[in-house]
Amino acid sequence: MAVTATTAAAAATRRVSARDFVRLKLRVTANAFRGQGWRIALFVLGLFFGLWFAVGGFLLFAAPGLADSRDAAALVASLGGAALVMGWLLVPLVFFGVDETLDPARFALLPLGRRTVVTGMFAAALVGVPALALLLATSGLVLSAAMLGGAASAVVTAVGVVLGLFVCVAASRAVTSAFATMLRSRRMRDLAAVFLAVCAAALGPVQILAINTMENADWERFTGVAEVLGWTPLAAPYSMGFDAAAGRWWAVPVKLLIGLATVLVLLWWWSRSLESAMVGAATASRGRGPARTAAGGEGAVAQLFPPALRRLPRTRAGAIVAREARYWWRDTRRRASLISVGVVGVFVPVVVNLGTQGFRFGSAGQSPTRLALSMVFVGALTALSLVNQFGYDGSAYAANVVAGVPGRTELAARAAGFSLYTVPLLGAISVLIALLVQQPGWIAVAAGALFAGYGCGLAVTVVTSVLGAYALPETANPFAMNTGSSMAKGLLSFASLIATAVLAIPAVVAAALLPGALLWLVLPVGLAYGAGAAALGTHIAGDVLDHRTPEVLQLVTPRR
Amino acid sequence: MTIDEPPALALRGLAKSFDRKVAVGGVDLDVPAGSFYGLLGPNGAGKTTTLSMAVGLLRPDAGRAWVLGHEVWTDPVEAKRLLGVLPDGGRLFDRLSGAELLAYHGLLRGMDPDVVDQRARELLDVLALADAGRTLVVDYSAGMKKKIGLACALLHGPRLLVLDEPFEAVDPVAAALIRDILHRYVLGGGTVIFSSHVMEVVERLCTHVAILAQGTIKRVGTLDGVRHGRSLEDVFVEVVGGRTSTGEELAWL
Repeated sequence: MAVTATTAAAAATRRVSARDFVRLKLRVTANAFRGQGWRIALFVLGLFFGLWFAVGGFLLFAAPGLADSRDAAALVASLGGAALVMGWLLVPLVFFGVDETLDPARFALLPLGRRTVVTGMFAAALVGVPALALLLATSGLVLSAAMLGGAASAVVTAVGVVLGLFVCVAASRAVTSAFATMLRSRRMRDLAAVFLAVCAAALGPVQILAINTMENADWERFTGVAEVLGWTPLAAPYSMGFDAAAGRWWAVPVKLLIGLATVLVLLWWWSRSLESAMVGAATASRGRGPARTAAGGEGAVAQLFPPALRRLPRTRAGAIVAREARYWWRDTRRRASLISVGVVGVFVPVVVNLGTQGFRFGSAGQSPTRLALSMVFVGALTALSLVNQFGYDGSAYAANVVAGVPGRTELAARAAGFSLYTVPLLGAISVLIALLVQQPGWIAVAAGALFAGYGCGLAVTVVTSVLGAYALPETANPFAMNTGSSMAKGLLSFASLIATAVLAIPAVVAAALLPGALLWLVLPVGLAYGAGAAALGTHIAGDVLDHRTPEVLQLVTPRR
Repeated sequence: MTIDEPPALALRGLAKSFDRKVAVGGVDLDVPAGSFYGLLGPNGAGKTTTLSMAVGLLRPDAGRAWVLGHEVWTDPVEAKRLLGVLPDGGRLFDRLSGAELLAYHGLLRGMDPDVVDQRARELLDVLALADAGRTLVVDYSAGMKKKIGLACALLHGPRLLVLDEPFEAVDPVAAALIRDILHRYVLGGGTVIFSSHVMEVVERLCTHVAILAQGTIKRVGTLDGVRHGRSLEDVFVEVVGGRTSTGEELAWL
């Protein structure tokens, strides 16, 4: 009996290949569209944007070939390729998250080897609008290579373009996955935060250094940079076709090797963190340390309020603020979002205000207007963390629904809880940036524009969070998105950013028009404007929420 | 109990469809004040959907619901004040410790902080959760999660308790504790309605029973009236219908 059972089991098994993963992903994606008209609409819109990007990229990458310029081709291939890879690395961390249609935890019980899972997940990750758009865009390089070096270098470039796609996808997956693992473990998460903060802070000096080198340089310097980049994993796959076109055939196998090795190392790295993600769902919250017994017989209410918030009123609103304050730190997803705010908040103004002054505008390139613009952007971006604030709660939001919390109280308290973290952070960023551009007098401009942007951002996001709430997947990966919702999140974020920018124009205009001596006025004006916008947005959205409470709860409850 | 006292929970024609699939097709139910009411049904019968609509968590396509005479969807403030709810498998705000969660619920209900402190301490003691200290609810066992959920529902002293699967995934010790507490609550004049598919618990606890299948009420009445001298399980299987294995399939097992 046992023997027949074993053979029966053996007969019923066949090797699982990457194809099965791809088909599974397509099936899951298709099923998610069923009866969800708006999801299909979002998908079509996503396709449109993807195609738009792809065609634009294709033309850009094909231009050097059409113009018959070898130098430009090498430059575009290396710099453009490196920029794409960096984009694939950073954008998922900050904005969109990765599409986790196939949650690795679901494969934990299946008898699949690590290699099968990784290749399968990798193949599935290659199937998607962003990956296809990238492939289409970079194939412009093939056209360039064909015009410059004939069929042989076109073939080499085609191989390079595919390899480059592999590098992009593998890098984005490996990095988000590793970062997610770091944020999950208690020991590492503080380290991860510090690491990212140091990286962001280091950008300033690096930038100044780079600008200094570039200031007395011309295009040849760039060619040098491009050449060096071409030997790094960032651009090796994209540049090898042009080495072939230039007759440096010996470089082709070397760069091919660099690209392949990069993909393999990244996949290996990914498989390590995948494994922890597969078992992570079960153990994610274990080992949080021994249960500390209640300190000194403190009352329950006193325990709810963090020490810094002891003076909050013990009311509904106070309770929500206290819980939100606890959640922004204790919930991995929210903490990841906060950390991203800190990183981008430093990164963007540094790039905008220091980055271009060197070669485009001369050293007089700084202006209060540009500073204000970048700060408005940072403020808007910060508020974007709230764009799906109810999604973070999931079905736990039912507690507030059953208690019948008024919409305005709910939204105002949530915004306040978030601001407990962001207002000091944004204040620090304003001072830091003003000091970095060596214009301490502009602190008022920076802070005023920042808070105007933040207030307008809050006004917009409280509305979107009520109207466009969506469920987040119940996985341990803070960057994970459900099928279709990464598109939804992207579009919602994008629309909210645009709306915020429009709302915050007055702050920028004030910075542009006020004479130097009166620039400090931007601070009070910006603060008042931002606070007013946030109050108005909360007022309006609160009414909407009162009429939509059960609907919002249903939208954020994950479908099982 | 007087005749003109409104029922603790009254449902009339509650209906809900998801994607054209009927989940609940017109439920009428009267839960008398002071009763211990069991809502029985197989998986997917619409128990959770019905209870969610009854307490204001899910907007019905049609129908109305009253809690002690206050309509849930037009007079939600008063109705919700009288209600305590334990949502199904419902995630609580589980990144809080037990005491923090109770404090949150209490303040959310607009209670006086001192009363919250006192009741929270008593509830944690009685439910044997005080030892958990500052462990986050997410790290609680399934039984502890049910108990803290029940504590949150009881904290503000509601007149009607609506519990979705309070005994699911709970060990016998915790289940006995929950039973005792619910018993005391009903003796004190409260009303409980809970959903379950565990016959034994329902038979032991309930004064009234309703059997829900495929989105409609199939049997309703007092426990003895529904049992009619048979075991509740027999009645349930007969009402719900089901198939028995012939033994031919699954030979490879």
